[in-house]
Amino acid sequence: MSEKKSLIRLNEIYKSFADNEVLKGTSLELSEGEIVAIIGGNGAGKSTLMKIIMGIYPLDRGEIYIEDKKINMSSPSVALEKGIYLVPQEPLLFPNMTVEENVVIGFNQNKSELGEKLRNLIKQLGWNISLSRKAATLSIAEQQLVEILRGLLREARILILDEPTSTLTFNEIQSFFKLMKDLQAKGIGMFYITHRLTEVFEIATDVVILRDGEITINGPVSDFTKEMLIKGLMPDSVENVKEDLENDLVGNKEDLVLKVDSLSGYGFHDISFSVYEGEILGLAGVVGSGRTELAEAIFGMGEITGGDVLLDGKSIKGYKTKEIIDLGLNYVPEDRHLNGIFSMADVRLNTTSAILSRISKVFINHRKEKEITQKYIDDFRIKVTGQDQSLKSLSGGNQQKVVIGRILSSNPKVIILDEPTRGIDAGARGDVYKIIYQLKKLGLAILLISSDFEEIYELSDRAEVMYHGTNHVALSKEEITMDILTLAAFGA
Amino acid sequence: MTIIKRIFEKREITALAFLIILFLGVGLRNPDFMNTQSISTVLKGSVLYIFLAVGMTFVLLTGGIDVSVGATLGISAAISASMIRDGSSVVLSILLAIAIGLIIGLINGIGVAIIKVPAIIMTLGVLGITRGTMIVYTNGKWVENLPDSFKVASQANLGGLNFYFILAVIIVALVQLYFSRGKTGRFFAAIGDNVEGSILVGIPVKKITVIAYVASGFCASVAGVIFASQVGFVTSNTGLDIEMVAIAACVLGGVSLSGGIGSVIGASIGAIIMTAINSALIFLKVPSFWNKSIQGSLLILIVVSDVLIHKYFQDKARKQRLSARSSFVGGDK
Repeated sequence: MSEKKSLIRLNEIYKSFADNEVLKGTSLELSEGEIVAIIGGNGAGKSTLMKIIMGIYPLDRGEIYIEDKKINMSSPSVALEKGIYLVPQEPLLFPNMTVEENVVIGFNQNKSELGEKLRNLIKQLGWNISLSRKAATLSIAEQQLVEILRGLLREARILILDEPTSTLTFNEIQSFFKLMKDLQAKGIGMFYITHRLTEVFEIATDVVILRDGEITINGPVSDFTKEMLIKGLMPDSVENVKEDLENDLVGNKEDLVLKVDSLSGYGFHDISFSVYEGEILGLAGVVGSGRTELAEAIFGMGEITGGDVLLDGKSIKGYKTKEIIDLGLNYVPEDRHLNGIFSMADVRLNTTSAILSRISKVFINHRKEKEITQKYIDDFRIKVTGQDQSLKSLSGGNQQKVVIGRILSSNPKVIILDEPTRGIDAGARGDVYKIIYQLKKLGLAILLISSDFEEIYELSDRAEVMYHGTNHVALSKEEITMDILTLAAFGA
Repeated sequence: MTIIKRIFEKREITALAFLIILFLGVGLRNPDFMNTQSISTVLKGSVLYIFLAVGMTFVLLTGGIDVSVGATLGISAAISASMIRDGSSVVLSILLAIAIGLIIGLINGIGVAIIKVPAIIMTLGVLGITRGTMIVYTNGKWVENLPDSFKVASQANLGGLNFYFILAVIIVALVQLYFSRGKTGRFFAAIGDNVEGSILVGIPVKKITVIAYVASGFCASVAGVIFASQVGFVTSNTGLDIEMVAIAACVLGGVSLSGGIGSVIGASIGAIIMTAINSALIFLKVPSFWNKSIQGSLLILIVVSDVLIHKYFQDKARKQRLSARSSFVGGDK
């Protein structure tokens, strides 16, 4: 490694948000022509680290060296000037501008020259994308390409790719890898964040595992096997949970609770599966495979164009969300902040908000409200200073526990969990997993939606894999492995 | 459907069509509305609103709003008028009025972009302060008896067109050129379109936002000077509620209230429409105290229909995208 020129070196980076220490002295180096894969679970600090390199977050302590010169990375424009470009996981385009405008914005050069350069670049890459389309009309994959074009046109020396393949199809991924190799040959260094271990071995030169803000594995890819990486990724707490509770996992496939029968709607097509009492059915699939649209349609929030949903043998198709909740199906949404919590309100109100009308006559029954809230705080070991603590001051994991508590307070028979541990650190994730097991033991039917295949692997009794809006693969407990899940989720 | 969509996308054209229909429609009832005299009165009267709308467009593009423009117009009118009346140099008076507009804009901009006060609250507060200061400055009295030379300037014609109107057209053309061709021209719309994306491509979001409010303050103060010159006196109510007209003009001309979309040409056509409606009400013999409620209803009508049309197309595009994704089933390996 020493003969290659160092592009960027991070030395002992520390970063906390409020009380949550996200990066604990992380050091990392990238040299010319290297592709450093960074893997790690949700909340391990990958995105934070990249945002620090990009100058979006200031660092608390530590140094950044670019080509062996110490740099004060104070803003994204400094990073851009130093030839760093971040291709974010969710493309940040300007929906009302055309593709061309999106790519050339922020440049200081002559626009027609830039346009010329851009057209050459696209021809060179062999991509097929119309420059005059509005960004709002592009698919996610196309938006990703536009983001990459932005980075390339800037002649970035250091590219940060944040899970670029998570929304691409198999063929798109292959041409994307070819592109990465071309760039690598030109001496461009890349940080490549991914969840997919197969990709690490396919494309990366080096691999880094980030766990809870610390680097646990760092070295050339050839030094590692997939098993070693998986072992390095697994949070210890989860392994224990699995061992503790595995004995209890007796799926009694007797009482069918939720049956989805060739259901179609916008974003999903001809979906069928059943969930039994006391069972966790994993619904795996990459972002954009139609899982959330499906869940929303079942929950009465999206349109159903065909098929049927049966709850306890009774069709709930076309029912309003409130009626569906009353019948015993409830949904924990993916984006907690957008759809799940009242951030200013206190823990108590958040826990009981779904059942206020049930526990009250004219005025709210405060005694009962307190009882119920305390029950969930104790049951789930929610870390609070009191019931009147505001929800936004809790950590992500504890917020999620409150949300699950609220859903349970409505006494559901079926519960749909959409990405329950997204943005939650590893320790709290173990707690959430325990709660999910508890629910299962209580006899609830659980539909677990996740793009984190480890999570599906850890928790599910059976799994369905969605790909392009259909569930074309059903897996039994024995068949659920990371490899099969990954392959199936990509239509292979 | 695509034709309808295109037309709605080119809002300048719909706005212009609306303006022509307005003239034809009112002209049917009262042919005097269509003669050159009346049209030139409308154009002359629209100059104020054009300036306000141009400044407002800067702010709306970034996703903000500036409700203080009426007060800025008022105080610049009062200050320039009183100084000119008291014998100060015209140029100096105008420069001072404009400087005050710039300062008000700077205060708004710092409040919104750096201290992060919500735009409507920040500019509402500044509106109150500015209007109060103006009344203290004038002691609540009218500023009258301006020298004829200052008033006559508003009557000057060049090739049959009012001089101020020509000035407004030039400014609109320059700003339009800046927005479409200027190095930093697209930044305003970019911020309103996607703030995080703007940060990521290195757009100085705070600086550009401050500039937007400064531009708005500048335009409002120029409008104030023009008001003093056109009307010849300044009352303590000068510029009252005029921000509603400016915002309505922008929205009518296709500037989105949520930021990211719009052009100053559209906004200016909107400004002419708003003036034409005022004038049409006179020709239709509608009592003038209806004006404000008609402007207000129009504002809400435009915004609501805009939102509905937008939502319809967005929903449709979303469904198409989702269907496209799930339609090629399984198969491709």
